[in-house]
Amino acid sequence: MKKSWLRDYTIKRLLYAVIIAWGILTITFILVRVGPSSPADKYLANIAASGQDVSQITAAIEARYGVDKPIFEQYSDYMVNLFQGDWGWSFSTSMPVIDLIKTHWIYSFQLILLSSLFAAFLGILVGIYSAVKQYTKADYIATFFSFIGISIPNFWLGVMLILVFSVKLGLFKTYYDTSLPLFSIDNLAALVLPVITLGTGMLAGYVRYTRSAMLDNLRKEFVTTARAKGLRERTVIGKHVFRNAMLPLVTIIMFDLGSIVFGGAYLTEIVFGIPGLGQISFNAIFADDYPVVVAVTLIGTLLVLLVNLVTDITYTYLDPRIRYD
Amino acid sequence: MLLVAILTSSCISCQAKQTGGSFIEGQSGGDAETLNWLLAADATSHSYIGHTIDTLVTYDNQLNIVLRCLARDIEVSPDGLVYTITIRDDLKWSNNSPVTAEDYVYTLKNLMFSDWLNYPYKGSWQEDVGGEKVLVTPEIIDETTFTITRQTIDAEFVYTVYDLIPYPKYIASKYEGDIEAFTQAPEFNNLTYTGNLGPYRFVEWIRNDRFVVERNPEYYLGKDIGAPYFKKYIVKLFSTSATRQAALEAEDITYTGIEPEQANKFRSLEHTKVYTVPTGGYTLLAYNQRANGWDGLENKAVRQALSMAINKEAMGQTIYLGFAEPAYSFIPVTSPWYDDESVVKYGVGPLYDKKRAAEILYQEGYGILLDDGTIKVTDKEGNPLQLTLVTNTGSKLVSDISAFVHRELADLGIEVKLKYVPWATLLRQYVKNSVPNTGQEPLSNGGPEAISTESWDLILMAFGSDVLAPSGSEIFFTTDGGLNFFGYYNPEIDELFDRVKSKEALDKNVRKDIYAELSLELSEEQPVNFLVFKMSNLGFQENVMGIEPGISTGHNYYLWYFE
Repeated sequence: MKKSWLRDYTIKRLLYAVIIAWGILTITFILVRVGPSSPADKYLANIAASGQDVSQITAAIEARYGVDKPIFEQYSDYMVNLFQGDWGWSFSTSMPVIDLIKTHWIYSFQLILLSSLFAAFLGILVGIYSAVKQYTKADYIATFFSFIGISIPNFWLGVMLILVFSVKLGLFKTYYDTSLPLFSIDNLAALVLPVITLGTGMLAGYVRYTRSAMLDNLRKEFVTTARAKGLRERTVIGKHVFRNAMLPLVTIIMFDLGSIVFGGAYLTEIVFGIPGLGQISFNAIFADDYPVVVAVTLIGTLLVLLVNLVTDITYTYLDPRIRYD
Repeated sequence: MLLVAILTSSCISCQAKQTGGSFIEGQSGGDAETLNWLLAADATSHSYIGHTIDTLVTYDNQLNIVLRCLARDIEVSPDGLVYTITIRDDLKWSNNSPVTAEDYVYTLKNLMFSDWLNYPYKGSWQEDVGGEKVLVTPEIIDETTFTITRQTIDAEFVYTVYDLIPYPKYIASKYEGDIEAFTQAPEFNNLTYTGNLGPYRFVEWIRNDRFVVERNPEYYLGKDIGAPYFKKYIVKLFSTSATRQAALEAEDITYTGIEPEQANKFRSLEHTKVYTVPTGGYTLLAYNQRANGWDGLENKAVRQALSMAINKEAMGQTIYLGFAEPAYSFIPVTSPWYDDESVVKYGVGPLYDKKRAAEILYQEGYGILLDDGTIKVTDKEGNPLQLTLVTNTGSKLVSDISAFVHRELADLGIEVKLKYVPWATLLRQYVKNSVPNTGQEPLSNGGPEAISTESWDLILMAFGSDVLAPSGSEIFFTTDGGLNFFGYYNPEIDELFDRVKSKEALDKNVRKDIYAELSLELSEEQPVNFLVFKMSNLGFQENVMGIEPGISTGHNYYLWYFE
């Protein structure tokens, strides 16, 4: 029975996702194309300086990149090409957009995945411990450090970690080395400092959220009942309290996952020289590289929609009372 | 004994220059746009390509020509119109076919001069003939010789020719006429054609991360001596100077530029060495002489007074921490055309005098005499004088200089309002100008009647001057100059810039005299306040040998090696 409504719900959400993605794609496309800038801008000073006809060269350069046509024609061309798997040519990096994304997504993905795992695993463990040991020294220490973790800017923490662990102690390289094999211990070691940098803020947040969610549930009657039934404390905490505390945590973790893809990860990528999608999209915006801007926006949109869908489905497993039919 | 000594020394030399290791250069400031150099607008693209393919010549630290792809120096006909270029006969493309004069002429005629490609810098190869822009005429003479013929004389055109690099005709002709195919051509985007033309061969380019080339054992300059000596040369990109410098300190990279405040620290480290070298980069403060600037700036005496109130030496010491020297014109001290006797040194020595500056402004009607005998600088109506200084965001150096100018002019009683805007906004709203109500397309110099969208009085900018051919700066100071955005028009300056390229200037002594006149006139006129020429600090690991520091430190980089 559950399978049937869940399948219908998933199909419906996927259809919505396609419509939303199309809407965002269209808005982004129009916004970036109707702006005053042109791919010819970067040449203008030199063209003017050498006494050439600015409008002629501008027209030629715009024709080279296909931005000389009416906006609707550009849009329809782009959509047709997109459906045929052609994401366009990145004129700020001189390669097909699809190849650019294929090369760089993995750098962002490994950073985000490992940071999320690091933050969620440690954050939940410390949060549970802090809640169970409420108002003890351990709780105060965890609270103190989680506030520090939330307050430290990523950028500053990254630079400090480099200065201490790379420059002073020589334990790690000062930058991420893309020549290392992806599945290797060396690559994992190269990611230690970036993961700590990106994960610390999230970890601190998870400690606070977990502690709060656990404390809410610890005071509920079903916990008293479980204890009265003589269940072991570990079972009460793990099976009854934590499972109920998971619901808001899943929302927050998934939300974080969506928001760091192109936001939080960017600063970490900058500090450690990781050529991920954050850096690619940021540079593309400043270079007026429309095909890349539109493509990464589309990918970001799809990821957020997917993460939301997975979150909603996860709810139904964590709390069987939840139904979407 | 002598034989033993020679053998021993040559053996030591062999050991000292063993090939190996990766030289990692740390850079920040953005990645290259393309390896297809005809389409590149940025210097980084050209610097990447330069590892794999040489220009016709390079320059040593004394700015003497060092031949690269040229067999001998370019011969210029006595009338100054025909340039005969003879390339080496041992240059090869990757398919082992020889690089010929035909490739160079093809590159010029069919690519750079073509209408379908619209090479953005075609203007450098055009001349003004009877009011029309005409391209120069390249012609093949034989396998290794070609000529370029002009109709008018330009004494400094030879420097444009020296920078020429060719495309292989056998590949480029496949894409001729199709700009999309040419843009995306894999051979050009992966530098697969460069043969023995450069010290290194392309390996990979990971965007926003690193550009990697490997030793080219076939390099035409290295085959007899085993150069280059690095197995790989890697350009690693960093987003901040802090992380770039941390990488040098941690010995993760071999070389990078050092910020002034870090220079002493890196000098004191055992494993690094720092060279301070001059550059052609300078900072200027433009005075808006167009109708939407303060009208006082159209008065030469007022401009001189303002320049007299800004201490260039103090600026060099406090902001650049000593790594800059005062600028008096667009010609750097290191240029062979610089003449220290032919500049008026505003902002230095006796010409840094705020009291005298206030007196000049008062004499010109911009001030009132207070009861205590001091002068308060005001506008013509006696109201407090406020000037707007516009510059770009995102640079600490720029904001420090702006604050310095603000303080200096505040001492005169002038309030400088600082406005920081993004670079694109600066260009569109302040630099570009057009004649109001005419529908004229905004240009960097729309003529004497043109004004920018937003009004301004001072713009702080940095530019680079060509040390060998500084006449390129005419774009700022001549009536038709494409970047004369501040509206300075002076027929005498126009004539001097014309003369510096004319037949008489083929005689270098005459050219030096004309440059001296130009410097004197511009430093006297102060259309802009030339502030400082900056110096660069280059930080290397101690074990890099063979470096000859100077204005052209990299000219022999294929001979560098690890100790």
